[in-house]
This record gives sequence, structure tokens and C-alpha cells, in this order.
Amino acid sequence: MAENKERGSLSDILNDSVDSEINEDEGEEVTAAEVLERLEQAWLNEKFAPELLESKVELVECMLDQIKEMEENLKEAGKGDLVGSLHRLEIQRIRYVISSYLKIRLKKIEKYAFHIMEPSNDKTDYISRLSAEEHVYAKEYCKNVEDLLKSLALDDMPPNINSLDKKKSVPQPNLDSYLFMKVLQPQEQVELDPDDQPTDLEEGAQHLVRYSVISSLLENGAVALT
Amino acid sequence: MADDSLYGSLQVRPSGWDYFELDDILACQEKIPCTFETQVKDLGFLDHGSDSEHIEPATKMELPFWLAKELCARQRKIISVELPKVYREAYRQILEADATAVDLNKLGPYFYSVGGKLLEFGNAENPRIAETLMMTYMKRMRRLMDLSLNKLDGSKESQTLLPKLDHDEHNVFAFSQEGLREFEQWKQGVISKLTSSKTVINQRKRKRTEDN
Amino acid sequence: MFGEKALELVKELKRSGDGSLPPYNEDCVRQVLDEMKALFEQNQKDVSATVAGEGGRIAGVQLRHASLERNKRCLLAYVYNRMEKIRDMRWDFGSVLPDDVKNNLNEHELSWFGRYNRSLAKYMRSVGIDLTQDSKPPKSLYIEVRCLVDYGEFETEDGNVVLLKKNSQHLLHRADCEHLIRQGILEHII
Repeated sequence: MAENKERGSLSDILNDSVDSEINEDEGEEVTAAEVLERLEQAWLNEKFAPELLESKVELVECMLDQIKEMEENLKEAGKGDLVGSLHRLEIQRIRYVISSYLKIRLKKIEKYAFHIMEPSNDKTDYISRLSAEEHVYAKEYCKNVEDLLKSLALDDMPPNINSLDKKKSVPQPNLDSYLFMKVLQPQEQVELDPDDQPTDLEEGAQHLVRYSVISSLLENGAVALT
Repeated sequence: MADDSLYGSLQVRPSGWDYFELDDILACQEKIPCTFETQVKDLGFLDHGSDSEHIEPATKMELPFWLAKELCARQRKIISVELPKVYREAYRQILEADATAVDLNKLGPYFYSVGGKLLEFGNAENPRIAETLMMTYMKRMRRLMDLSLNKLDGSKESQTLLPKLDHDEHNVFAFSQEGLREFEQWKQGVISKLTSSKTVINQRKRKRTEDN
Repeated sequence: MFGEKALELVKELKRSGDGSLPPYNEDCVRQVLDEMKALFEQNQKDVSATVAGEGGRIAGVQLRHASLERNKRCLLAYVYNRMEKIRDMRWDFGSVLPDDVKNNLNEHELSWFGRYNRSLAKYMRSVGIDLTQDSKPPKSLYIEVRCLVDYGEFETEDGNVVLLKKNSQHLLHRADCEHLIRQGILEHII
């Protein structure tokens, strides 16, 4: 897909242009190129997964900082510089990935707003997957939608049915959607299909599976969506 | 032939997922042949074929699926239901004979969707219904994928095929044509062309005709 | 059969498809709510009668209740689906809706749009990115555009002023034009 093209050159430019060592909380040093790679994978995972995934907003913030640094350096370099133009283009590309990632999440939050914000013991705790800003947004969105439904319809309905059943009568993601995934870390004896025997997953292999079957593997990074 | 374990993994999705979905609402309007088992007071006017004040037991009426489902859901069944004729054995055999030739749009644009909903009535014929739905879908899908993935719009075969598609098949067809279109655009190097959205284009068209 | 007016609302929305949102059907909505009120009141009577010892009314109550739920579903879906279209308009048209589009929204829908706008702006400010930009992977810094309408003067990010006259062509920074292309004022030439 178009989005996958030229990841190599982005990494090259990042490695050249800025102080590329970043310290993570655990004291592990990561290059900007690695952060970008992780962000791109997070972006693809989010794009193909039917439900909202864990927020990787720290990767976003890191890349935004990188962009700021690059833009500062470019200001000093002056205009009309060919290398500068290339860097500006790469900045736009990184912006595109960030923007797309956040937008995909926002669309899911809007689509499944009630389901996400409704506390319940027998489903995933989506609230923990929201960034602080997303949490505020989701709350406001839910309230805005509910107010509209109330003022145009519910408030004028008979008393015993004038509320929205947020557990049953709201959009929920289809966790059984089929999607393509590739194996990053080999796994033993995984049941990909209830009709088949469990198989070992080899590194690099690609499969078409139901999301529900691999959601936990996705969470711990053993597989990635493509 | 119909193995129970094949349908063991069939699950009815919680209906909340589609609560606001317009197509699901329309699919639930499909008529189901019903027979009333008890009397229903004061609602005789719903039965167009009778002048009586009440709906009497043994009255046969076609009710929309959303109503038939609720009236079956209690322990004391108010109605008993039959399969609509296009899901009965006679039609199932037609589908088995030549699935690709059948006009599913005529049989009800939501053929698969309603078929799936019928399974909720726990009819003894359910395994057969499920089997027919799946076989029909698979056979037709092969032809559909062939046509939609190879040629954009215009092909004569597509023109004859399209009006006979059920609603879900239409969506699959449109979706893969869209994919094909994007691939063509990518080949021509125009995929990254920035565009107005369809909504904006339509609104400007309307405005221009209004201003003239 | 009950629920027929409610179904009309659903069909009306379905018919409009990708096109423009039709005006809010106040009349039909009112009729659906009236039917719901009548069904509810009749059910209340039947329930009281049952409590008082009269038999044979449960079936009717259940039939009417199913109809109430059906009406509710159709009405909520009508409001909800219109709302989603209005929401999408923020991404298509920007934060200011054209008049002819606005005229088809009722006052509650308009105020919903305003609140959505503010909430989105707040979010975008807090993450530091304008999400309504960068909708396609950038291939180059500058793009060639043709102006479709007489727009007037336009100031680019580096301070240059360009005169956007109908049919004029320009080489501009991608970031500057994206909004104008989305709104149909400029056309991207490849």
C-alpha cells in the first residue's frame, strides 16, 4: 500500500538529521527511527483492528518533539535548500502518519462512544485505552449525542421507554471480523480456527484469521496486522 | 448430510450491534406468515381481512419480523410462525440447482440478512436453511469476485448481474470495485491527488443549478 | 400495522443516500410520537384492567409494547443517522456550513454541530495537530492547482499573497491548499 513505501528513507533522514538517541522511561535507549517504526506499526494495527486498541500516544508525542527539532534546524538552514526541502517533505510524511493514526482512533471513539464509556465487567475496559485528551473528547461526544437523542426523541416518549439502553442498544465492534496478520514472534499451538487443530505460528508467516482469536497476541506484540 | 457440529459455531450476534443501522431496520420489516394461537383483544383492526373487534385464535396473518419475533419470545406463545416461501424447501432446491441464476433482489433485497434472522425462531429446518444460505452465498460470491475484481463498471456481464444481487452482495461488489478503482489510480499516479469530498461536489452542483 | 410512519422516516433517510440531508421531518416525527403515546395509554388501561381481574389482555399489551419499541428504534435511528451525516459535514465542509446545507438542519442539530466543532477543536489543540489536514500521503511539497471560482486574495504560510481568480493556475505549498481543495475552491492538477 502507498503508506508502506519509503519507510527506509524516512529512517535514514531521521538518523542523520537529529540527535537520534531518546531515553525511554526504563532507561532503554531508542532511536527516532525505531520510534517511527513502532508508530507506523501501531497505526496499521489500529487501522485494521475492529476495536479501539491501547493508546500509543507516547510515540506520537515523541515524534511531534522530533518534528519540532527538525523544523528548528530547518529554519536555521534557510529556504531554497534542496536537502531542506527533502526534510520538509519527510516532516509532512511523519505528520501524515500521526494525523491518520489519531483520526482512525477518533473515528472509532465516535462510532463506539457509548460502548466504550459504559462501565461493565464483562467486556474490555476501553477507558484505560484512551489517552487523557481522548477521554475528555469521548465524554463530551457521548453527552452531546445523548442530549440530541433526548431533546429530539426520548424526552417526548412514554416514561417506561424514554431512555437509551447503553448496554444493548448501541453500536459495538464486530470482534469476529476477519483480517490479515503476520507473525512477529513464533507461537506454539494456537487455535486459529475452531474447526481446525491448533498450529504453531512461524515467524514471518501470514494468516487470515478472526480478530477475536489473535487479539491478545496483538496486544503483546507477538503478531501485527497488515 | 447436515452435520450438527458445522452449525455448532453459528452464533446469533447480539442485536445491539445494529440498533441504529437503517438496513437492519428495513430487513426487520420483512413479512413472516403467522398464525395466532390466542385471542388478542381490541386489535382486530390489524386484520384487514376481518371485521371483528378482536383478533381471533387461528387467524392467519403476515406480520413484520420485528413483531413476529417479540410475539414468539414469551413462554406462552401468542403466535406460531412459518417460513416465508422463499426459504422453504421448494425454493431451496431452486437455489441448489443454480444459485448464480436466481434473482435475489426480487426474492427480497435482504435475502441473506432475513435468512439469518429466521434462524432465531428455532425452526426444525434451521440446519437446512443455514446450509442453503451458505452454499448459495459461496457459489454466487465466486462469480461476483470474478466480475468485480477484473473490470471496472461498464462490463456487460456486470450490468446483467447487478440488478439480481441481494443487498449484501451489492455492498461486496461496490467495495471491491472501489478497491479496483484505487488500484488503477495508483497505477496512474493520481492516488495522492487531493480532492473535494463527494458531499461538497454534490452541494456545489445543486447550488449552481439553483443559481441559474 | 403499527410503526408505518416510523418506517417512512427510515426510508426517507435511506433514499437520500450520499446526497444532501433532507429537511428535518417534523411532521412525521410528531406522528410517530403520537402513535407511541396512544399505544402507551391503551396499554396502561389494559394493565389496570388485568390487575382488576379481567383476563385475556396480556397478548394485546405485548403486541403494543413491541410496537412501542419498534417506533423508538426507528425514531432514534432517524435522529442518530442524521447526526452522523452532520458530523461528517464538519470534515467535508469545515467548521462553517454552507447556508443551503444549514437550512435543512433543525435548531437542535445546529447546536449539536456547534458543540461537536468546539469539542473537536479542543482535542486538536490539546494534541497539537490539525487532523482535518493531511488527508493523503504527501508526494511533494508543492502542488499545482487550478482555481475554480473567483476567491480573491490568499496569503500563504510564508507571507506571500496570491490572487485566486477563476481558471488561474498556481504552484503552491501543499499545506496551504488542502483546505481550499476540500472545499472545492481549488483543483489539484497532477
